[in-house]
Amino acid sequence: MQKSQESTQEDVVRTGKPIIEIKGLHKSFGKSNDILKGLDLTVNEGENLVVLGKSGSGKSVLIKCLVGLIRADQGEISVFGNNITTLDSNNLNAVRIRMGFLFQNAALYDSMTVRENLAFPLKRHQKDISDEDLDKTIRESLDSVGLEEAIDKMPSELSGGMRKRIGLARTLILKPEIMLYDEPTTGLDTITSREISELILAIQKKNKTTAIIITHDMACAKLTADRIVVLKEGVMEAEGTYESLENSEDEWIRSFFI
Amino acid sequence: MVVYLKNKFSDAGTATLFAARFFKEVFRPPLEIKEFLRQCYILGYKSLVLVGITAFIMGLVMTLQSRPTLVEFGAEAWLPGMVALSLVKEIAPVITAVICAGKIASAIGAELGSMKVTEQIDAMEVSAVNPYKYLVVTRVLATTLMIPLLVIFADAIGIFGSYISMNIHTDITLFRFLSKALGSIEFIDIIPATIKTFFFGFFIGMIGCYKGFTAANGTESVGRAANAAVVSASITIFVIDMIAVQITDLFL
Amino acid sequence: MKNEAGFTWKLGMFVVVGLILFIAAIYIVGKQKNFFGSTFKVRTQFANVSGLKVGNNVRFSGINVGTVDDIQLVTDTTVAVLLVIKEDVQPFIKSDATATIGSDGLMGDRVLTINSGSARAAAIKDNGFIKSLSSVEMEDLMASVKTSLDNAGLITGELASFTHKMNNNNGALSRLMYDEGFSNSLKSTLSNLQTSTNEFAKFASNMNNEGGALAKLNDPEFGEKLDSTMSNLQSGTKGLSDNMEAAKNNFLLRGFFKKKKKAEEKKQNELKKQEEQRRKQQLKLAKERQEKGDTTVPAVPVVPADTTKTLIP
Repeated sequence: MQKSQESTQEDVVRTGKPIIEIKGLHKSFGKSNDILKGLDLTVNEGENLVVLGKSGSGKSVLIKCLVGLIRADQGEISVFGNNITTLDSNNLNAVRIRMGFLFQNAALYDSMTVRENLAFPLKRHQKDISDEDLDKTIRESLDSVGLEEAIDKMPSELSGGMRKRIGLARTLILKPEIMLYDEPTTGLDTITSREISELILAIQKKNKTTAIIITHDMACAKLTADRIVVLKEGVMEAEGTYESLENSEDEWIRSFFI
Repeated sequence: MVVYLKNKFSDAGTATLFAARFFKEVFRPPLEIKEFLRQCYILGYKSLVLVGITAFIMGLVMTLQSRPTLVEFGAEAWLPGMVALSLVKEIAPVITAVICAGKIASAIGAELGSMKVTEQIDAMEVSAVNPYKYLVVTRVLATTLMIPLLVIFADAIGIFGSYISMNIHTDITLFRFLSKALGSIEFIDIIPATIKTFFFGFFIGMIGCYKGFTAANGTESVGRAANAAVVSASITIFVIDMIAVQITDLFL
Repeated sequence: MKNEAGFTWKLGMFVVVGLILFIAAIYIVGKQKNFFGSTFKVRTQFANVSGLKVGNNVRFSGINVGTVDDIQLVTDTTVAVLLVIKEDVQPFIKSDATATIGSDGLMGDRVLTINSGSARAAAIKDNGFIKSLSSVEMEDLMASVKTSLDNAGLITGELASFTHKMNNNNGALSRLMYDEGFSNSLKSTLSNLQTSTNEFAKFASNMNNEGGALAKLNDPEFGEKLDSTMSNLQSGTKGLSDNMEAAKNNFLLRGFFKKKKKAEEKKQNELKKQEEQRRKQQLKLAKERQEKGDTTVPAVPVVPADTTKTLIP
């Protein structure tokens, strides 16, 4: 059911510059709880897009719709030219392999060691991988987040920042083309936040990935953003670079930057 | 009222679909063999001590309790057979299943509930691994196969407990006791009792997984999932037992 | 990975031991049901199987050798029973063996027992037929127990009245047991008896001594003399009777003899009448006594238990 990476690349047609296109996205929970109300958004290949917005403005729902964790009520989401909303589970998984998702709390598998956490997606998508290659890939990935010594620890033994970095390593191990970060710096001290932000930038440079970063942390946004989008009540309120939005005429938008 | 009923029915529908998905997924390769074995170890082997102690005490206590009544009728010789029969037919399967509902269903409910709450299940999903297959199929399969095995151990340990308590009052050799105890048991007693334990196992695993998988967001829902799993699994065991006994009664 | 190997062997042990236990249980139970090992079949018929069920044990010489395999109603009074028996015992069951249905203890399961036939008969064949004896029903057993209990009740009642009378009445036995005076008189009687026997012994010894008149009785000579005297006497009396006969026939004396005869007849008639009168009087007296309730008690009467009370004075 899970196709290997090579075959999926043949299925999916590359469409040039815009890699993610969202048109008229609607999502509501229950009858009166509309989260997204016709959102339009385009993400270009190789850019770091930061999404800002108040809690409940639909930021998390947006990226969960992107990976198909939440099914949109209405609208079109195109990733690598495939409409996520209409894909069946096999083709959806093929797209998912090419995307990485870093969860808010890293979502490490509690019952496994760090090594097993990293091996988990790898073994299932590259079945014929040898034990040496597996070990090598895991160590490389851990090295890229600077935590090679934690390889045989359990997630419960790790600090919040370490968990985030291990989560990042686990996501990167499949070499995704698009990275989705769900509040990567929340709950971390400023120094660790900065380290994570720098890591995001380094990954973008090293792997040439496209990234959507959802955050409240303006330091992180300032450091990583190529472009910033502000969401308000389910639609896009403003768009621009960090500097342009910081000097926006809109009082509400400027309030994010204080 | 209508909304309440509708919610209840949609819950039942979700649960049925969830269970139906098991049968769809279980035959689709690849099977997560390693995880399945690990779950067999955790859910089966690690419950053995608990089940063993309970079964031993049940055998011991049942023998001590039944003894005075049988002695009154001068039917003390029936004691091993009677205790063995009630252990094999009813006590061992139900007690083991209820103990496992407490231990296993709650463990599964809490584990999957916390995985759900901390987005680990979502993380699996986005890494294109089928979490149902990895988490639910392995666990349900493990309980379905391990509970019957635990019940067999419970039968054996319970009969041994009965032997110990027989020896408090009278001297009886183990061989003679066993020949008396097993002499009263027939296929008609063993087969339905064994078949129903597979159902016990399936439902213990399935209810634990369902409650864990459908846990709401928030840490307190983990506890609620574990609790609901234990309660539902225990009730289900008794209902299945009742149905099983009625069916057995009908056909044999 | 280290911990993986650690749990694998434990899991393996757990599964293997569990399966061995299960298979062993199946095997042991199966052995009892003759599921394994070679068997042969025996047919029999009963009028009444008295609750025999499929799966009940079959016993031969007190050993469980098989089970009841099938029970079917053939006619309204015949039930065909099919038995499955271990092949080992086939040579010991003869073709004239009989089957009975008994029960294992008072409340136990029904058991079909095969009674061994005659030693000379041939061993039974597979699917052979053996005769049956009607089983001892619980009701029959209870009925026979009831009659013996009734009899026992009667006997103990009699015994009770007997002992009661012995204790309370003035019967010979009770006096023997309890009356001191009676026993004293008995004692004196016995001592008298002793003295009289002593006397008798003396008398007997005197008699044996020669000289006395009685002692002479023992003398053979005296006996002969007595004998001759007696024969002389006999011949003498014979002569006399001849004379008397002659006298009767004499016409002079005939009248006298006739008168004498008539007087004698009269006397006899009177005697008869007197006797009848006496009897009547006695009957009257007896009636009067009965009316007064003054019945006398028989020495050792056999009285029904329920009348004992009226007899207690």
